[in-house]
Amino acid sequence: MFNPERFIKEQTEKLAAEVDGRTIIGVSGGVDSTVAAILMSRAIGEHLFAVYVNNGFMRKNEDAEVAKTFDATGVRYRIVDASEEFFDSLKGVIDPEEKRKIIGNKFIEIFEREAIGWGAEYLVQGTIAPDWIESGGQLRDTIKSHHNVGGLPSSMKLKLVEPLRDLYKDEVRKVARSLGISVSERQPFPGPALAIRILGEVTPARVEVVREACAIAEEEIEKAAESGKMDVPWQYFAVLLPLKSVGVQGDVRAYGNTVAVRAVESVDGMTAKYMRIPHDVLETISVRITNEIKSVSRIVYDITHKPPATIEWE
Amino acid sequence: MKIYVIDNGGQWTHREWRVLRDVGVDTKIIPNTTPLEEIDADGLVLSGGAPSVGLEVDKMGRNGEYLEKADIPILGICAGHQFMAIFFGGKAGASGIPEFGKATIIVDEEDDLFVGLPRKFEAWESHNDEVSEVPPDFIVLAHSDNCQVQSMKHAKKPFYGLQFHPEVEHTEHGYEIFRNFINVCGEG
Repeated sequence: MFNPERFIKEQTEKLAAEVDGRTIIGVSGGVDSTVAAILMSRAIGEHLFAVYVNNGFMRKNEDAEVAKTFDATGVRYRIVDASEEFFDSLKGVIDPEEKRKIIGNKFIEIFEREAIGWGAEYLVQGTIAPDWIESGGQLRDTIKSHHNVGGLPSSMKLKLVEPLRDLYKDEVRKVARSLGISVSERQPFPGPALAIRILGEVTPARVEVVREACAIAEEEIEKAAESGKMDVPWQYFAVLLPLKSVGVQGDVRAYGNTVAVRAVESVDGMTAKYMRIPHDVLETISVRITNEIKSVSRIVYDITHKPPATIEWE
Repeated sequence: MKIYVIDNGGQWTHREWRVLRDVGVDTKIIPNTTPLEEIDADGLVLSGGAPSVGLEVDKMGRNGEYLEKADIPILGICAGHQFMAIFFGGKAGASGIPEFGKATIIVDEEDDLFVGLPRKFEAWESHNDEVSEVPPDFIVLAHSDNCQVQSMKHAKKPFYGLQFHPEVEHTEHGYEIFRNFINVCGEG
């Protein structure tokens, strides 16, 4: 059985032996990259520099969350606002794989820039097993290119270090708990962020819609879980669909956006069951999203398992 | 006890490794091009994979060599199971109704793999192809509504096939099926 304490000890020793010199780590505020940062910091101490990139489509209040998490860890970090660059590179892009690759490349471009400033030779990422499995290669089919795997250019000069490669999310959480990391129970969030929760083109206006919708879905589900109406799902969010439908708002015809709500039960993200959320919770989410975000006039709930679907829509 | 996972490129190959590790077996994932003489295991798992075994048999590497020459127990999963059927003279091809996600497995013969399990349980599937005819030396151990061969076994050798995936979290009794296979490996 997986033993988090043994993993921490062995990995820290291994990293200290393998990584000799200045290092940057790309962090997102999620559990994987935070765990990788702490392990690295234990292994190489002051040589580590963490970079958080705000791509313009992160969760609500994410800059503040990340600052809070990293202030508590003592790891030196920097927040880079690259939203303009990301939006520019995604103009007119609709295909989900193209989106993922552009985002992955952009991340590396920024990490390489930051690495020069810090004089780093190594790049650490919080890649976990499903990331490289689903990204495919050789015999394995590409289900989706994870940004930290599928977007890596072959010309990258930084040496890549991925201490969590063989772990699944439930194992990373065990390590996080053992390290006392505050975000250990935080729900997974995709590397390409809200860009892949917008089917179709990613624009600042559409990001605003899905960001609000996600925040409402999260808030209501967490409230319901707290009051004992349901368990906290493994992952829960909203997706902005590229199709409009007819509605009526205040006696006026509306032709508005459609938002899908998704919540799943899983242990490792490799298989998932849609969650049987109580109807009154779904109803509150539906009423709130359609009232608080005027451009949305229809809500649907996703009732597909993985497989055949994946958890995220892109 | 050493049981290795032969990688045929499945999405859940690494899960098979994880389950074996979790139940305390020495395990590693090895490419399906590894020569048999380099394998010092007490049992093998032939993983699933993207290849359609009927049409892309070349992508199955040395799976045939293992089935022909190995004297240790072998468990074929999904593509590994389909390949096993074809190798011993049965048939596999496109499913009439492919299964993805949840399905109900009905056990016909408890045999070795299903010892101590209920006759009916929930399992997770992901296949476009399936075994349509078991080889002459094989018996069917389990089926589902849409797939007649969910599990089979060689009548004389410790070779087993599973169409569903015991290695994923949502399959009920998956760890027990692995433990039952490990017991077979321990008898060798």
